[in-house]
Amino acid sequence: MIHRILVRKYIGQSSLLFYCCALALFSFAWIRVWVVSLLDMGQFKTILEQFREFEKFAPVDFDSLFTYPGRVGMIFDEPVVILCTVVWCVARGSDVVSGELGRGTLEMLLAQPIRRSTLLFSHATVSVSGLVLLCLMVWAGLGLGVYSTCVNETVQQPTLQIPFLNLDLPLTINDPVKQEVPLRDRVDVRTYAASTLHLFALGFFVLGLSTMFSAVDRYRWRTVGFVVAIYVLQLVMFGVGKAVSSLDWLLSLTFFSCYKPQKMTSLVTDDGLNAPWSLTQVIPDGVFPPLVYPLILVGLGILFYLVAFCSFNKRDLPAPL
Amino acid sequence: MLANPFCAVCSKEAILISMSHFKEISEAEQSGQAGLVAGQADIAGQADIVCTESLTKRYGDVTALSECCLSVGRGEVFGLLGPNGAGKTTLIRLMLGFLHPSSGRCLVDGFDPLIDGVALRKRVAYLPGDARLPRHMRGGGVLKFFAEMHPRGDLQRSLEIADRLELQTRRRVGFMSTGMRQKLALSVVLGLNTPLMILDEPTANLDPTIRATVLDLVQKVRDSGRTVMLSSHVMSEIEDTCDRVAFLRHGKLARELTMADLYPRHRITAQPPAGTVSIPAEYGQRVTVQETQQGRLRQIQIDIAGELAPLLPWIDSLKLQQIRIEPLGLRAVYDSVHSGGGGTPTNEPGTPVRSNE
Repeated sequence: MIHRILVRKYIGQSSLLFYCCALALFSFAWIRVWVVSLLDMGQFKTILEQFREFEKFAPVDFDSLFTYPGRVGMIFDEPVVILCTVVWCVARGSDVVSGELGRGTLEMLLAQPIRRSTLLFSHATVSVSGLVLLCLMVWAGLGLGVYSTCVNETVQQPTLQIPFLNLDLPLTINDPVKQEVPLRDRVDVRTYAASTLHLFALGFFVLGLSTMFSAVDRYRWRTVGFVVAIYVLQLVMFGVGKAVSSLDWLLSLTFFSCYKPQKMTSLVTDDGLNAPWSLTQVIPDGVFPPLVYPLILVGLGILFYLVAFCSFNKRDLPAPL
Repeated sequence: MLANPFCAVCSKEAILISMSHFKEISEAEQSGQAGLVAGQADIAGQADIVCTESLTKRYGDVTALSECCLSVGRGEVFGLLGPNGAGKTTLIRLMLGFLHPSSGRCLVDGFDPLIDGVALRKRVAYLPGDARLPRHMRGGGVLKFFAEMHPRGDLQRSLEIADRLELQTRRRVGFMSTGMRQKLALSVVLGLNTPLMILDEPTANLDPTIRATVLDLVQKVRDSGRTVMLSSHVMSEIEDTCDRVAFLRHGKLARELTMADLYPRHRITAQPPAGTVSIPAEYGQRVTVQETQQGRLRQIQIDIAGELAPLLPWIDSLKLQQIRIEPLGLRAVYDSVHSGGGGTPTNEPGTPVRSNE
């Protein structure tokens, strides 16, 4: 089902985009963790408290962000990370049929003794593998950031507690002592395995969607247009559903509701490393167990791929323009 | 050319031939006999390599190809002629399985493109009319890629052809001129050792020297016992290369012609005689007379098929003025088909064609 030579061609074709996205994701994740260390937790809390009324727009409650794991976990909701992942998925997905048709190269390719499904499988192999590597790049950058960064923490002053009055009296009047603590002592990198899976699931969904449109379309620009239009529409539905309580039913119609990387971080913080991998325990404020959400995205992505396979096998291939 | 496998009598034979051919090829491939030379299988010479029956392709109200029944024999160079939009490329794309026919069917080397397109394309090398190749690859990389993609590919041969076509294979495709890209595509296709080669306008965008080289390579393909289907708008190329041609017009197969029939044809152009031109009954089947008018100049055209010498006394008796005799090439047949005449004689023997009174 997979053609080695085709895979090699697709790798060569997509390598520049992959290296750019990988570099951007890795370095951004690393720098983003470093930025976490620059901002004192107390200051961060003060800043965030001013935006309490906008908490409903946030993917998680603010309280979960007052921890280092929560702040580091925000990386998975950063626009740069989402953008790079989506760019890879839309670029690769839209290329497979309508891209080759637009460039006129599909005819020579399909004149070789290969099945159309082999072409799609080979392309999907490279695209999905690239997506996996990009997601791992985010995790790797995050991990490097955690292991190479230290945070300054204020040491708790020794106090004397006065019984009955419930007062804590400091035993010293010196300035609070600050100590440098390696971030790895506060953050376990394994916490973000589930978040990384969510990022992959989101990417796989977009990749499948792009591939499906590409398989039925003739022009790549139109394929990209359709996918971006759907993406933006779903994003708007997600935002409106969050903002207006009477329209919260929109949340069940948008795939962004299944993208919950920060929720996974909160679950790990509260219930341990195994919590996000449950298929039976429903998450707080959720409908399904935590592992079901990425599985929905992956399932829809597979469905899109199946539609792409069927339509590509049945369609007439127009002559190059 | 022997049996049409679609006809009721021959279909069983064709299926058996196809099955035995497939088995033979498979066994050869399994036993590592790479590069099974085309035409060496037992099937060679037993059935047409291309057969279409009532092949039709419609796009909504537009009929791109209508009821096309065509056969291409093994080892011949077959020309496809017709104006733009006549259905040549549609026919080729249907044969390769790029398009699904609205009705009818076709077999290429015993394989139906809709049933076993992969086995079919193992036996076919195809050069599209507008061959485009991956722009990010270098010429050498493209040759290597396609030589590895096709089980009958041969990189060394492709490189030799590229060298013969004076192509710089180190350059990236994106930086190649149109002619260079055509040479590269030709090197890819001519490097494949397949029983059937389909070339859609192979000499487009090439200079005269390279055109001659390409036609020479096509002749060598034919000499090796393989079949070539050639589509071109250049009549001289078809005349020089093909054994047989088919004319397509408005999606229909307008006429088939063997080149052997074409060569002993002549056209006599002259000022019209004073009296009526009557074709003698014994020459009626191979003489066509028609009158043309170009501005104020009226002319008579007498097209003669076959040996000219026996008709010279009759021509002399017509007392023609300003007479000009020329070989009637493919161009004349093409013009005739294009204008809707089908290139067939229209005059009955003994019929007075015109009167000058």
